[in-house]
This record gives sequence, structure tokens and C-alpha cells, in this order.
Amino acid sequence: MIWHIAKREIYDNLNSLRFALATVLLFGLMLTNAVVHLREHPARMQKYHDASTELLNRLRSRTDLYDLAQLGPEKFHKKPSPLHFCADGGEVFLPDTIYILISRITNDLNTLWYLSYRYQMPNLKNIRPNTIKVDWGFVIGYVLSLIALLFTFDSISGEREQGTLRLTLANSVSRHTVLIGKFLGALVSISVPFTLAVLMNLLVISTSSDVQVGTDAWSRLGIIFFISLLYLCLFLALGLLVSSRVHQSGASLVILLLMWVSFVVFMPSTLASTASGFSSPMTSEEYWERYEQLYAELGDEYNARLQDTRGVPTKRIELRGEYVSKGTERGERLIHEHLAQQHAQIQLARSVTRISPAALIQHLFESFAGTGFEQHQQFVENVQVYAREFREFVTDMDRADPDSRHIIGVREGMSQKPINSEAIPTFEDTLSLSRDFNAAAVDLLLLILFLAVLLSGAYLAFVRVEV
Amino acid sequence: MLKALIGRELLNNLMTFRFAAVLLITLLLVVVNTAVLIQDYEQRLESYNNAVKMHHQELRNSKTYSTAYLFVDRAPNPLSIFNVGLDKRLGNLTGIYHGFVPTLWDAQMHGTDNPFIAFFSSIDIVFVFEVILSLMGLIFAYDAIAGERERGTLRLVLAQPIRRGQILLAKYISAMACLLVPLILSLLFALLLLTRSIPLSTDDFLRIAGIVFTSFAYLSLFYLIGLLISVATRRTGTALMLAMFVWGFLILVYPNLIRATVNPSADVQERTKTAKNQIQQIVDEYERERKKFLENKSVIGDASQFIEAVSLYTDAHVDSVTLSPYLENMSLISEIPPDFEKYVPIAKKYYSFVEPLATNAADKAWLVQKQALDDIFVRQAVMDRALLKLSPVGIYDAATQAWAGTDLLGLRDFFDATRRYRRVVIDYLYATDAFSSREWFVADKGPVDWSTLPRFTFERRDVGTNAKRALPDLFLLLICNLVLFMGIVLIFIRSEV
Repeated sequence: MIWHIAKREIYDNLNSLRFALATVLLFGLMLTNAVVHLREHPARMQKYHDASTELLNRLRSRTDLYDLAQLGPEKFHKKPSPLHFCADGGEVFLPDTIYILISRITNDLNTLWYLSYRYQMPNLKNIRPNTIKVDWGFVIGYVLSLIALLFTFDSISGEREQGTLRLTLANSVSRHTVLIGKFLGALVSISVPFTLAVLMNLLVISTSSDVQVGTDAWSRLGIIFFISLLYLCLFLALGLLVSSRVHQSGASLVILLLMWVSFVVFMPSTLASTASGFSSPMTSEEYWERYEQLYAELGDEYNARLQDTRGVPTKRIELRGEYVSKGTERGERLIHEHLAQQHAQIQLARSVTRISPAALIQHLFESFAGTGFEQHQQFVENVQVYAREFREFVTDMDRADPDSRHIIGVREGMSQKPINSEAIPTFEDTLSLSRDFNAAAVDLLLLILFLAVLLSGAYLAFVRVEV
Repeated sequence: MLKALIGRELLNNLMTFRFAAVLLITLLLVVVNTAVLIQDYEQRLESYNNAVKMHHQELRNSKTYSTAYLFVDRAPNPLSIFNVGLDKRLGNLTGIYHGFVPTLWDAQMHGTDNPFIAFFSSIDIVFVFEVILSLMGLIFAYDAIAGERERGTLRLVLAQPIRRGQILLAKYISAMACLLVPLILSLLFALLLLTRSIPLSTDDFLRIAGIVFTSFAYLSLFYLIGLLISVATRRTGTALMLAMFVWGFLILVYPNLIRATVNPSADVQERTKTAKNQIQQIVDEYERERKKFLENKSVIGDASQFIEAVSLYTDAHVDSVTLSPYLENMSLISEIPPDFEKYVPIAKKYYSFVEPLATNAADKAWLVQKQALDDIFVRQAVMDRALLKLSPVGIYDAATQAWAGTDLLGLRDFFDATRRYRRVVIDYLYATDAFSSREWFVADKGPVDWSTLPRFTFERRDVGTNAKRALPDLFLLLICNLVLFMGIVLIFIRSEV
């Protein structure tokens, strides 16, 4: 019986104007998305490969252990995700490179390299109008949700107005059968053009030889598609809920549209700007002040103690080693504190926006597509892990040489043997699906929770309503 | 008769659920967003005030001319609450010195900014209107004719001695009267919040009036689009679907789609390269002259000894993105070496030769740079804006930005002022004979007295200029209104009831 009602709904929808318009819109957007991705992605990958090969060559060309320990690998590049077309994740606003920093303690004493996460304000030179990138996140988050509401706003209230709902219920059909039938009908009639548009998008993208989509990426795409269907169901349930409570379909549409506008368009930005006002991370002026103070203090201390070591070169080397490691450690701690405060501000704002399903889906897409803020944090972590590995490598190489004094950071105190360039650890930015899944778990659970609440709400509303 | 019609329509519109819902949601969104925006504006204002104080202090701490840091800051625009435009996005801090011409693209950002914040798009009042007013217009219009046709009341009305145009006019006037209620009410609330915390001038109120009038034209345009759909279709269901998809396309899809269609062109890189070469030549020429002067033994003596004695630091490079030449010469000496005195006349000669040279080179490079920057940065943006204007949203956004003064021209006014200020500073340096003074490079006879240096001031252009910039777009909106209305009348007169 459910299938009977669903079939009727599907036939009704297939012949309607909204079905035709929705299909055209979805196909047009998905095609644009694919074409843009094909145009931009190869250049992005090329840039990444060129930059990282050049970097690797420079790193391999170092043979002196002290130089290696002091100058380090210069910078780190973020690997562009092959699923960039799913979620752009505001990549233009995120740095794709992490540089290193070497600070000066006194005129002849420098720290070892450490990570510098500072980067310029993005957008300072951008005077082009503000736009959202047409990625899957946009197509599904904004357009598909609107289409879902346009398909369901009159599915109960319209029938009630026409009187056909009475006729249906006069048969020996339970109410929940009718509701589920209607839900399934709308779901099928939207997901068919949507699935076709997605397949066309993937077909266009995978035909090009420039863009490689691996097995890992396919499983990610599968998850993303599944999430989109959940999101679609969420809005269908909302549409049914309002439609069964409100007696006129005109009023039901107005309510749904206003809800959509508030939750999808306004809430993410408004909540984010409100929430980011709560915390004020260290300003860059404050950072520089502390930075300069830190090294001025260290320099003075070092100069004062340097007087004691006159005439004892070994003591002098030890002292230098001590201050190099102190300077490196403290500088690293300060800059890390700065970054952590900035990240915390964004993290807070992002968790507050989770009330809006559109923001939820944006986060989920970013997590699984390997773009956006989550991925940026993962990139930073990867780089930090590598930095530790690199330090350990230097220490190990130094320890292996019996002639060395084992004072890292001073040329005279370290091994003078040339190092095997092949043995130097190299950095590669990686993504892991299980990690992404963990990061996305809360968002996914929230999405399912919203869906469950709305579905049961729609059920209750329809069961108790008078026809 | 017209009056009776208007009265009926007014009552019909006012007593509906959609009117109440729209009124409520508009008020809510505008008030909430205004509160957030005011908080944000106050934060920016505070950070501006701090920056001004800090830069003033920094300047006073500069002991010599050659090592001075002279920065000017851009205050946030209070009308950015209405349309933020480029006000928050572009740099608000730029250095002023003679060997460098400040441009919009060299500007930096002062203040509390977390670079990741740019991640969240910022909403302003005009954005709320863009989305809500257009939706309102369409919701009120889609069944205006089609609904009456379906119910059969249209026949009854037309049986009376009324012209068809009059019916349309009555519908238009009454609907607009209703739609103005949420617009005006929400704006009044916003203004109430605004004037409590931000002082606004008379000019600002006139600018806000311009924004309100533009909003009105925008609202009316969407009502007419809805009316056109309503006149052209037989059934309300069809009219509604068409209206919704038109809305989705114009507001949501099209503005974001244009970015995908416009390809960032490769000739920009070419243009940058050629302009950079030209400017590099000017800089090289300057460096040649400077070195020739240093090598002139009769003036300088031994150049390397001189450079070491005054600890001369020089820089002459061209920024590869903004094409700005940075021509610096400074003496990094804090204490005077004992045998320094004999270099003082040489240093005076050196600086009074080289600094005017740097000034002229920067001025000369500016002529090339100005043209190139327009080609590299501005042309693309202007093209995007023009394409955007195919949707009413684009026209509305451009017009309100012009009123608020947060458009590109408004921001360029500020940078024009910084360039004028650079001239003022240079004139001041010439007038006080600073280039050839001892304080230029050493502060042993007391630091520089900065109190006579003229301060930087910037006043936004008057409301007339804003109007001049906004009127073309406003006229475009009004013309669209007129054309649509005439089209609707024509279709309605010829259609069967």
C-alpha cells in the first residue's frame, strides 16, 4: 500500500513543472561544477608537485648536519584534495604553506628552525565581489534543500485543500502509511534527478586523464552521497511536518521559506560572527611585543653569562647550545600559543553554527572531501609530527658520531660528518579516512538526530491532525 | 473606483498570514544582525583608535628622519553596517615615506584580526534585504492575478467599468504599501539601535535615505517580476513554482555562478611582468645614479668606510605583486663613533642627493604602476560587477555600496588622500630642509621634532559624490521597473480572463 501511494506521488511529481525546473537546475549546476574542477584542478596539482619537488631537492642537497639542523626543510606544502569539487572549504582563506622561522637571539646566535604559523590576512588584494564557490556543498546545502521544501510544502495541505486527503483516508489505509508513502514518493522523485546529476558530474570529471580519483576517494564520495540523502530527508521531513500542521498550502510555503532562509542563509554567518566575538585571541601587535621581549631578554641573559666563559671554549659552546635550545623552545611555545588561540576562536564559532543543518552539511562535506578548516588542522598536526621526527633524526645522526660533543645547535658541538641525503625524512601531507570519520562523528550524529526529531514530529503532527 | 480597489487589496494583503510572518522575520533578522554588526563595528573602531595611538607613539619615538615610521590608518565606515562592501576586507594601514607611493594593494591590516575569521562570510543589512525583500515581493505577487483568475473574481471585477491598467495599478500600489511596512519598520529599529551607539552625521542620514530608496526600487522590481509571472500563467501553482525558481536562480545561483564562468586570465601575468620590468628599469636607473654618487671620490672619499661609519642600510626592490618600488636609505646608528664627525658633511651631501632622487623615482614609477594596477586588479573586478548586474541583486548591491561609500571608489578616495598626504610630507621635508639636516641620520644633537609635521586627516566625500556614484545603478533599477510594468500591462490587456 505504501508503494501504491508513493507511486502516485512519483507520477504526480514527474509531470510537474517543479520537477522539470529542478532537474534543469541540478544538471546545470553539477555540470558547471565539473567543468570548473577540470579547469582548475590540474593547475593546482602541478603547482603542488613543482613546489614540493623543488623543496625536496633543496633538502637533499644539504650534507652538513649543522646546516640541516638549523635551516631545516624551509616550508611545507598542503596537498590539494582530489575531492575539491565536493567542498571548496574556503580554501582561499586558508594558507596552503607553513613556513619556518629562525629567530635571532644576539648578533651571532640564532635559534634552530621552528614552525611559523603566521600568515597574512587573506583577501587584502581581492576587490572582486563576494561569491560562494559552486561546489557540491552549495548545490546540496542550498539548492537541493530548497527543492526539497518546494516538493513537500503542499503534499498534505494541498490534498487537504482539494479534499482528496479525505478520500484517501476513507480507504482502509493507516495514516502513517500515507505519510511514509508521501515521504518516499518525494524522496524518489528528487533523488532520481539528483543522482543522475551527480553521476553526470562524476562521469565528466573521471573522463579527464588529468584528474585521478582513487579508491579511497570513491569511498569518500559514497559517504558524501549518503550524507546528502540524509540531508534531503531532513528537509523533506520538515516540509511534511509544516504541511500537515498548516491548513493552507500558501501559508505552509511562507513558513517553510522563512525557516529555510533563516536556517540556511542567515544562521551560519550570523552565529559565527556572534560567537567569534566572544573570544579575543592574541593580536598580532601583542604577539610581536612578546616575541621581541622574549628574545631581548634571552639575548641579555646570554651576554651576561658569556662574560664568565672567557677563555674556556668548551664552556662557551655549552652555553651557546643551551641558549639555542632555550630560544627555539620558547619561540615555538609562543607561536604555538598564538595559533592555538586563533584556532580555538574559529572552533568555537564553528561548533555554535552546528544548529544550522546547512552548516552541519558544510562541515561534513569538508571533512570527507579533505578540505577546509578540519583538514587544515590535520595538516598542521602532520607538519608538527614531521618536525619532531626531523629533530629526532638530527639527534640520532649526531649520537651516531663518537667524535661529536652532542651539543645540538652549535656548529662546533655537532657531528662534522657528511650525512646521507637519502636518509633525511621527507614530508608528505596525508589524509586518513578513519580520522576524518572521527572528526565528523559529532556532525553526523547531530544530522541524524535532527532527522529523527523532524520525522517523528511529522508523524505525530499528521496522526493527530484533523482532516 | 481606483480608491475602492486599493482599499480592498490593502485589506486583503494586510489580513493575511504571510504579511504577519514576513513582518516578524524581517524585524527579527534585521535587529539581530544589526546588533551583531554594531558590536563588530565598535571592535573595529577600537582597534583603529589603538592603532592610531600606537603609530603616533612610534613616530614620536623615531629619533632620526631616515629611520622614522610614519603610518596612517583607515577608520571603519559606520555605514558599513548597511553594506560592508570592501570596507572590512581591504587593508587599513599604510606606510608613508618619500621613496614609496602608497596604494590600496600595499595596505596592511591592523588590529585584532584572526586571519581565519575571513572564513565566515559577513552579513550586512543590505544582504538581509537582498534575500528577504525579493522573497517578499514574489510571495505577495505570485497569486495577485492568477489567483483571482482561478477563483473567478477577476471576471467580476472586469465586469465593472474599470480599465485593466487600473486594476494592475491598484494591486501594485496596495501591495507596495504593505511591503513597505516591514522594510520601514525594520529600518527604524535598526536606526534606533544604531544612533544609540554610533554618532551619525546629517550626510549619513541622507546616505541612509538613498539606501532606503534603492531598497524600495529593488523590492518593487521583484514584486513586478512576480506580477509578470502571475499575469502570464493560468494557475497559481505554476506561478508559484516559476516564481520560486526564478528567485532561486537570481538570488542564489546566478551571483555565485559568474565566478565560475569568468576565467582568471593569463594575460594578467604577462601585464604584471611587463610593468614590473618597466618599473625595475626606473629603480635600476636610480640605483645606478646612487652608486655613481658613492663612487665619486671627490665628494665621498672612500665609500666603504663611509657606509660602515654611518651604518648605511639601503634597499631598492620592486614588489612582484603590487609593483610598488621600495627605495630605502637609512643610517642605523644609535651612538656616534668617535671619528664620525668627519663623515657628517659627506652624509649630509649623500642624503640630500639621494633622497630627492628616490622621491622622483617613486613618482616616475607611479605613472607606470597606476595604469598597470588598474589592468591587473581592477579590470577583472569591474567585469565581474558588470556581469553581476544582469541580476537585480547585483545592481542593488552596487548602488547601496556606492551610497554607503564602501565600494571601490569610496576606498580609493582614502588611498588618494594618503598619496596627497605623502606629497604634503615631502613638501614638509623640503621646507624644513630635512634631507640635508643632521637629524636625518643621527640623533646626537637631540631627536627630530615631529610636532610641526602636518597630521593626516581623511574626510569621506560628501553625499553628493555618493549620489553621483549610486545614481546610474539606481536609474537602471527604476528603468527595469518601468519596462516590466509596461510589459505586464501589455500582457494583461491582451490576455483572456
